Amino acid sequence: MLRRVVDWIDERAHVRDLYREQMVDYKVPKNLTFPYVFGVLALTTFAIQIISGIILIMYYKPLIAHAFDSTNFTIMREISFGWLFRHIHAAGANFFLAIVYLHMFTGIYYNAYKKPRELVWIIGWVIFFVLLMTALSGYLLPWGQLSYWGMVVTTEIPMSLKEAPFLKGLLGAIGETVSIWMKGGYKLEDLALGRFFGLHVLFLPLLLMILVGIHLFLVRAAGISNPDGYEIDKKAEPEKVVPFHPYMTLKEGAYAMWYLALFFFFVFFHMSHFLPADNFEPADPLKTPPHIAPEWYLLGFYEIFRSIPSKFWGFVAFNLSLIFLLILPFLDFSPIKSARRRPLFFIMFVVFVISAIALTILGTMAPTPTNAKLGMFFTFTTFLFFLSLPVISFLEWGWYKAKGGQS
Amino acid sequence: MEASRRDFINVAIGGMGVIGALGVLYPIVKTLAPSAASTTEAKVEVDISKVPELGVRVTSYKGKPLFVLKLPKDLTIDKYQVKKEQVNSAGKLNYDLLKGHDVFALIGVCTHLGCIPLWKPEGSESVNAPYLHCPCHGGLYTPWGDNIGGPPPRPLFVPPQKLEGSKLVVGEPGFVDKLV
Repeated sequence: MLRRVVDWIDERAHVRDLYREQMVDYKVPKNLTFPYVFGVLALTTFAIQIISGIILIMYYKPLIAHAFDSTNFTIMREISFGWLFRHIHAAGANFFLAIVYLHMFTGIYYNAYKKPRELVWIIGWVIFFVLLMTALSGYLLPWGQLSYWGMVVTTEIPMSLKEAPFLKGLLGAIGETVSIWMKGGYKLEDLALGRFFGLHVLFLPLLLMILVGIHLFLVRAAGISNPDGYEIDKKAEPEKVVPFHPYMTLKEGAYAMWYLALFFFFVFFHMSHFLPADNFEPADPLKTPPHIAPEWYLLGFYEIFRSIPSKFWGFVAFNLSLIFLLILPFLDFSPIKSARRRPLFFIMFVVFVISAIALTILGTMAPTPTNAKLGMFFTFTTFLFFLSLPVISFLEWGWYKAKGGQS
Repeated sequence: MEASRRDFINVAIGGMGVIGALGVLYPIVKTLAPSAASTTEAKVEVDISKVPELGVRVTSYKGKPLFVLKLPKDLTIDKYQVKKEQVNSAGKLNYDLLKGHDVFALIGVCTHLGCIPLWKPEGSESVNAPYLHCPCHGGLYTPWGDNIGGPPPRPLFVPPQKLEGSKLVVGEPGFVDKLV
């Protein structure tokens, strides 16, 4: 019976051809390692966020008079399983960023941003940036103390331009205008909540979906990278590739199951980190909570921002760290791909990973003089990674030519 | 046909998928369940000593308007030309259920198309006694909800109710056992 239904559809839509073409005849490198799974896990988490978000939006009210109660009463207590979907959505946001960071580190390690995959990386960076905006706007919606003060601090960041050592008048005016326009006034009120709500539930997710579509299209168009860093000619070297289905689908499906098990372990048993107690107190514009720090996924950038003694140069440095990530394919122009074959790059990659972790940990700590010095040091090593790439590339071009154009 | 290892794996994976999908669907469907706040309306208490004679107290029961009426003790069905063939779901006239009670509750929703009838305590030229009149299509009811005229197909619904001293408790079985 099912077969006849599929036959009927297939005669008209040729779905079997499409399936064969996209799943079976699509070949991927045989030697993909475990970290290549993070892309699929990110996609899984995106789906989780969309589904749980749809449930939450039905009961959330984006007005400051109702936002806190609709989150903490209507959703948490009144609606059956409302608490579950809030837990899933809050934990999902953290997992999403964690997976995306792992995905990015994987891409950097295997040099998956290099020709012909520069656009994959650039679109991926835009996804990362939009994801940060989505997380930031969503964080405001429960209208708790942390939501409110987190957004106050965020909207103050453009004000750093006032401290500029040059063009003070112009940059200061730009910074202030941006800050006030973000809030829709001097205070964070209904206008701000409304626009961040609109961005969070409609514009940014829509943008993410489109960008993820383009990202996946580009991966297909350029072909997936592989750990050894040699481009595979799928026709000439059929022994190096396997069909996407069933090899990848089963392998990644199994990993996705383990991932979901871990995810739901946190959702059901360890939510205190993702829904901190301070945020169960309604926003009070006249009292800042005693312990406030950005969410962990922003701590690295936050530590770069605050460890530089000048507010303006801190602002510049943290923007620069984002921009360096964006232009990574052009900083690293070496013809050799994958850290497996690039010892100098491997060393700098380790430096980068250690710096990123150290900055994140320092971000949680009080800014004592020692910590501030450490923050400066790891900010320096982070930039050292980016700035070493052109030098390493230059050296590697030399070796590449000396070997007669073979990597 | 012999079952192969592949069949076993397909059934095992498919079965896991079905269980997983059910596990996801269960809480999603459950979010649509009625909230505790909305179901507390399933029981209503009215202090009948505060309802004047020939007066009506309007409140809400399970989201529908509830009329609590107090009638003079001498008012009987003889004053009305009731359509006796139109009966409630117990197969009786509402009057047969409610007679002897000067205070009782009715669901104030016209059985024709759901409008809320008006209470006419002073009667009119055609009905020379208190009655209920639905403004939408002119349905006429006795104060007990039995049909006098107009399009309504059956008498007004009567919710389960009991008397506790000076309180009329709607939603618990008493002199009316269940919704009829």
